[in-house]
Amino acid sequence: MTLWELPKKKQARVTKLDDSMTSVLKVRLNEMGFVPGELLTCMKRTAFNGPLVIQIQDCVYTLDRQLAENIAVE
Amino acid sequence: MKRIILVGKPNSGKSLLFNQLTGLKQKVANFPGVTVELKSGKFEEFELVDFPGTYSLSSISTDESIAINQLHAAMSDKNTCLVVCNLDATKLERSLVFALQVQQLAKQHNKSVVFSLNMVDQLTRFSHQIDTKKLSSQLGSPVYALSAKSLEGLSEFSSALKEHAKHPETAVIQCPTIDNDQSARAVKFAKELAKEHAINQDIALKQQNSLDSFLLNSVAGGIVFLAIMFFLFQSIFTWAAPLMDAVESGVGFLGELVASQLSVGVVNDFLQDAIFGGFGAFLVFVPQIMVLTLIIGLLEDSGYLARAALICHKPLSLFGLSGRSFIPYLSGHACAIPAILAARTIESPRKRLITMVTVPLMSCSARLPVYALLIAVFVPNESYFYGWVNLQGAVFFCLYFGGICMALIVSKLLNTWMTAKDAATDLPFILELPSYRLPHWRPLMYKTINSGKQFIYRAAPIIFMVSVIIWVLGYFPNNGDLGSSYLAYLGKVLDPIFAPMGLDWRYTVAILVSFLAREVFVGVLGTLFSIENADENINGLAQQIQADGLTLASAIALLIFYVIALQCVATVATLKGETSKNRYSWGIFVFYGVLAYCLSMTVYFIIT
Repeated sequence: MTLWELPKKKQARVTKLDDSMTSVLKVRLNEMGFVPGELLTCMKRTAFNGPLVIQIQDCVYTLDRQLAENIAVE
Repeated sequence: MKRIILVGKPNSGKSLLFNQLTGLKQKVANFPGVTVELKSGKFEEFELVDFPGTYSLSSISTDESIAINQLHAAMSDKNTCLVVCNLDATKLERSLVFALQVQQLAKQHNKSVVFSLNMVDQLTRFSHQIDTKKLSSQLGSPVYALSAKSLEGLSEFSSALKEHAKHPETAVIQCPTIDNDQSARAVKFAKELAKEHAINQDIALKQQNSLDSFLLNSVAGGIVFLAIMFFLFQSIFTWAAPLMDAVESGVGFLGELVASQLSVGVVNDFLQDAIFGGFGAFLVFVPQIMVLTLIIGLLEDSGYLARAALICHKPLSLFGLSGRSFIPYLSGHACAIPAILAARTIESPRKRLITMVTVPLMSCSARLPVYALLIAVFVPNESYFYGWVNLQGAVFFCLYFGGICMALIVSKLLNTWMTAKDAATDLPFILELPSYRLPHWRPLMYKTINSGKQFIYRAAPIIFMVSVIIWVLGYFPNNGDLGSSYLAYLGKVLDPIFAPMGLDWRYTVAILVSFLAREVFVGVLGTLFSIENADENINGLAQQIQADGLTLASAIALLIFYVIALQCVATVATLKGETSKNRYSWGIFVFYGVLAYCLSMTVYFIIT
């Protein structure tokens, strides 16, 4: 499933960054902590399909649907 | 002078460390050809340069690539003797990813690196300690634990820093290997180190997450957001008022002092009308600009600004904007120029363009004097709800809100006109939510004072010149009779443009001149009214206009005109520089001018 489908307060592991993203973006996501195998938690979902809030390692990020749908988790 | 460069991730306490090391004697330089801000200050006998915070050494947006190129240039400069890389002890893993990249880059240039492990006071709260000795040997560069906020470890660090800077060979990097795949290696190594040293993330983030669950709540968070915005605009009026009064009476006192020393004549009239009347009327508004900067700085340093961007992302995306557009929009209330530059952080080129083009509709600080003057003329200074809501402040809020609405409408239109052809190159929205922090007064105070200074430096020469020219045209040929002056003649020729709005030639002159820069409006009116009322007691400009009989409908029309029109040459130039297209600079200038004229005219006719 994708990160976008992860319900609130649930944890998942990153499996893959979608190949439709540019390599620059993928490198940046790696540096931000989105590495396959990494555990993340969905902290919050905002109303009207607004951005997600997730915690990965020591950082909290907010990301929108477009990006969350490109990150596969399990 | 030998130079030390300071780098680090955003929100890692780097600015505060910089301020603590250099004191308040800093200068902000825009390096030739670029607009990235590099702050520099003196640390002992060295120059300390603070680089903008970046997440990585591989860039993803325009502003990052400029900052990174500057860093590369500084690394290869032979005057650079030492690199200080700031680490956030509470977010060790992320800091280390960047730190390792910096270390590798420094090694390529034979530069020494020192790590400052900042914010350890946050860890002692959870009785966690990082073994800096071990971390130093693992990283191959000295590590110093400190807190720029609680000052813990700071004096040790600064004396060590001095020694290392004098003898860079004491901090030569001793890390083992450098392979080609920098980023992947850094990510992996950082993970190993963090596993060993870092604090448990759930403990460190607990407070932040529980605050977020309230502040990002759909209902409560929305209310808090609106309350903060309302408070912001109220405070521009109420907090700044005593300061403005002080400046006003200061200018008045100086004026009287000078008048009493000089004999009656042209020189005395010139000083009174052009300098104290015109130029002084503008100085009064500097405190408001500083208060606005202070509050935006407070929001930024506390970590709330990123939450505000998150809250605004969805609503703004309905208008074709991004949550990141919120930051340019907000700082656009201080000045459109840095706001247009701040739009560089917006991930998608198309959203960036829309943001840049609509930022000039935010009520920037140059509009403040005009709003404040007209509001003071028409809106009684009354307070309700035990002084929490001030009527003038509320009108202010409406004007600001009107500007924002206008910007959203224009964004929506632009978004529908522009085709989705570059949607594929759009970068997605991702933002780090930094930990909440109590802002420290030092960087804030510096920022606030600097904003006032910058505003004066930028606007003063033009206001001064315009005041003098207007005074000369308005004073001669009949020494002080405004009605028969050159300016009156000129104004009466141009009067038909604004006469339908019920404004006479003096306002016409003020409006037309203010197409150079809005705040000139107040200066011009100040000069004109002081020439006219030279014999009477010097009242505030607002009382003079009130006595002169400007109608309510005209004042409202004027306000609407100033909300929309792009009367700022510097903004047009910045837009041209950033978009490199006349269509988006002069085109927008003409478009907003026509729009402002039509709308204010319509409103005038509806009211009358």
